[in-house]
Amino acid sequence: MNVFKLLAPLVALACATASAGTHRLDDSLSHTTPPTAQMEWLPQTPGDRDGGMETWVRVHLQIDTRDWVGRSGRIYMVLPRDQTSSIEAVWTTNGPLRSGRLVSGERALVWAGTIGSDSLRDQMQVRLRSGPDWQSASRRLNFHFEFDTD
Amino acid sequence: MNTAPTPTLLRLIGAGLVVGAGLQALPAQAWSLTIAAASRRVFLHVGNGNADGNNGTVNLVSANLTAAQLLSGTPQAMTSNSTQSTSLYGDGYTTCPTPSTQVIIGASYRRSNGGNGPASATLRATSPASLTNAAGDTIPFSQISWTVSAAGSSAPNVIPAGTFNGATQTLATVPANTYIENCHTFSYANSAIRAAGTYTGRVTYTLSSP
Repeated sequence: MNVFKLLAPLVALACATASAGTHRLDDSLSHTTPPTAQMEWLPQTPGDRDGGMETWVRVHLQIDTRDWVGRSGRIYMVLPRDQTSSIEAVWTTNGPLRSGRLVSGERALVWAGTIGSDSLRDQMQVRLRSGPDWQSASRRLNFHFEFDTD
Repeated sequence: MNTAPTPTLLRLIGAGLVVGAGLQALPAQAWSLTIAAASRRVFLHVGNGNADGNNGTVNLVSANLTAAQLLSGTPQAMTSNSTQSTSLYGDGYTTCPTPSTQVIIGASYRRSNGGNGPASATLRATSPASLTNAAGDTIPFSQISWTVSAAGSSAPNVIPAGTFNGATQTLATVPANTYIENCHTFSYANSAIRAAGTYTGRVTYTLSSP
């Protein structure tokens, strides 16, 4: 009896993990080149008076999908908002992930299908742009990936 | 014979729950990076210039007066050897359509955030007390004035008209992340008879943000 009571939460937990929903993925083996980036000014024009700043980085991605092999769904890249000043990321890829664009506070679809392997690997060439309205001299961007299971 | 749940199983279940809760609380790792804002920057453009680098050209503004003009005492228009008619403000607009009588002056100040320097930069011109000729004769620099214009602009006097004062004078304040630009047309006051000769003097424009 006692065993049954204790097993019930475990079963419920297992069901929750396997059910449809949004799940954050581990990509701790990913890294960027360079590891830090220096923004440069964009030209000012009458149509873009502030001009803004931009930089480019290459991201070597390795997303751990071993817990989701055989599951279908969509993977999104997420950039949480860190300041009121928005960051725009535009990227191209040369592997299984999709090219795309997102603004901080949003997420963008990068992959859809059935997970077939323990990891997804790709390289992204990412352009980051922002206005000249930061709240600090530097900022940390923490991208992550979410898996929406079907 | 009934048996109670084995302590070993209970311990395993308990441990499983604790570990499970721990995994739920820890966010998965993800790619991240630190980005540094662009450095504070001023940009100044006087006459012939480039948008993306230094240009060593020092343009010449001049007036060659006949004896009659000299004796008339009336102000004389000055001409320029500048050939820069287009803006360096990203769109190539023809702000100064007649550079032979205009010197285009543009300035911008960029900063990335409120803690990244003052809210504005200052555009100044420094002129010597006098123009001089080879014989040592002088003409006060205050004899030279300028008017301003800017084709197609709603603020053609963003850098106002003025007269050189033989010292450093402030021409305009440039707010952060703005670009100001217009065309300066110079004239010689011709308010006194001068000894014959070629009189020269150099005006230096500066844009600074301390």
